[in-house]
Amino acid sequence: MKDTESLEGWVPEIGDRVTLEEVIERAFDYRGNVTVVRADGARLEGYVFNRNRDVPVPFIQVFDRAGAGPYDILYSDIRTILFTGKDTAAGGSYAAWLRAKEGSKQRSGTTPAPDA
Amino acid sequence: MSVPLSQMWAVASYVVKQRLAGRARYPLVLMLEPLFRCNLACAGCGKIQYPAQILRKDLTVEQCLRAVEECGAPIVSIPGGEPLMYPEIGRLVQELVARKKYVYLCTNALLLREKLDADVFAPSKYLSFSIHMDGLREEHDEAVCRDGVYDEAVEAIRAALRRGFRVTTNTTLFDGANPLRTREFFDTMMDLGVEGMMISPGYSYAKAPDQEHFLRRQRAHELFSRILSSPKRRWKFNQSPLFLQFLMGKRDYECTPWGNPTYNVFGWQRPCYLLQEGYAATFQELIETTKWEHYGRKSGNDKCRDCMVHCGYEPTAVNHTFSSWRGFRDTVAATLTGRF
Ligand code: SF4
Ligand code: SF4
Repeated sequence: MKDTESLEGWVPEIGDRVTLEEVIERAFDYRGNVTVVRADGARLEGYVFNRNRDVPVPFIQVFDRAGAGPYDILYSDIRTILFTGKDTAAGGSYAAWLRAKEGSKQRSGTTPAPDA
Repeated sequence: MSVPLSQMWAVASYVVKQRLAGRARYPLVLMLEPLFRCNLACAGCGKIQYPAQILRKDLTVEQCLRAVEECGAPIVSIPGGEPLMYPEIGRLVQELVARKKYVYLCTNALLLREKLDADVFAPSKYLSFSIHMDGLREEHDEAVCRDGVYDEAVEAIRAALRRGFRVTTNTTLFDGANPLRTREFFDTMMDLGVEGMMISPGYSYAKAPDQEHFLRRQRAHELFSRILSSPKRRWKFNQSPLFLQFLMGKRDYECTPWGNPTYNVFGWQRPCYLLQEGYAATFQELIETTKWEHYGRKSGNDKCRDCMVHCGYEPTAVNHTFSSWRGFRDTVAATLTGRF
């Protein structure tokens, strides 16, 4: 998977092709809510803002959808993580603004800057 | 240089004390982010892309003050998000000023006139508004993706100066910046009467919407050399002249990310204001357990390769000034001659 691609909607199967550690890294880097599926099948939806893999018992930290937390969850207690929430870093707000700006400049008869 | 003498003295004596105490890594400026919400969505910003429940979060004033005490830096910079949207910004600033911390409140200024009218702040030598200004009207409104922001910021600067506040500007320059327009912008800011200006190249946040216009190192040196090679005497910079020389490629510094540690709703951010490689629960944990050798240009870390941002390199320049005669001499010379 390319770094520039959004992971929104990704439902990883932990196995030979992708490890739990890799999925956790992706979830930690993801700017949207995810659903953490625990070993017993319980689910927690929220934002993974931290992970610490350099301690004897690695863990992640999550604020849930209501903002409560942080909840610490051990790596060993995670079955998988689903990328269920919207990727807030994938928005096209800048591109949309540029399009609008260009449109208004053309309407007013001026030329957009070369790097616009 | 336009930093008041009392502030320079506070920083100098702090650095000397840290060195006498044998501290290898010490903070100079705490970057305190009490919230991530903002009333703008700038193209180069990687700070505000979070789900709603995170954007709704605020640090409490008590959490902020604990972080300030833990870290001990003489300067506290309050970026964000937009700090004027923080409901307790008045009380937070008041508490910091009472502790004799030099506060830089970094704001896009959209709410500044409203807060001044409501007497949320009182003028103090410890408080500066650091107004986000990325150039003249056209460049600034383009950088912040909204028309009219430049005009509002200018009005807010005038209003703050009229009331006796310290006002500085902070400017991020991206690839494609026009040196002549930037010099014109410096003139305009000095005409407005700001105390000093701060400039820095943009950092290529992986999360920022505009990925095309971040400066690579050589291009950055060329741009800053063209902007600063014959500086006007009337331009005042509220930052280290050695850092400006570094931007021009006249000095080679290594990053000291612990110099500007960041605290926000997630905790103490590793390793710096720009990268989010994890969080520590305490400042001590941050200093002791971050793998500092993995960061900075010499580390070979791709994310650091082109970075020349003030929060990593300005503390290096300030340390250089106060820890060697040569650094001190060069700073004094640049300050007296106004040349970089
Ligand atoms: S750069 Fe500052 S003003 Fe712009 S969106 Fe980010 S936090 Fe807001
Ligand atoms: S070089 Fe830049 S990105 Fe890397 S640690 Fe220093 S400030 Fe952060």
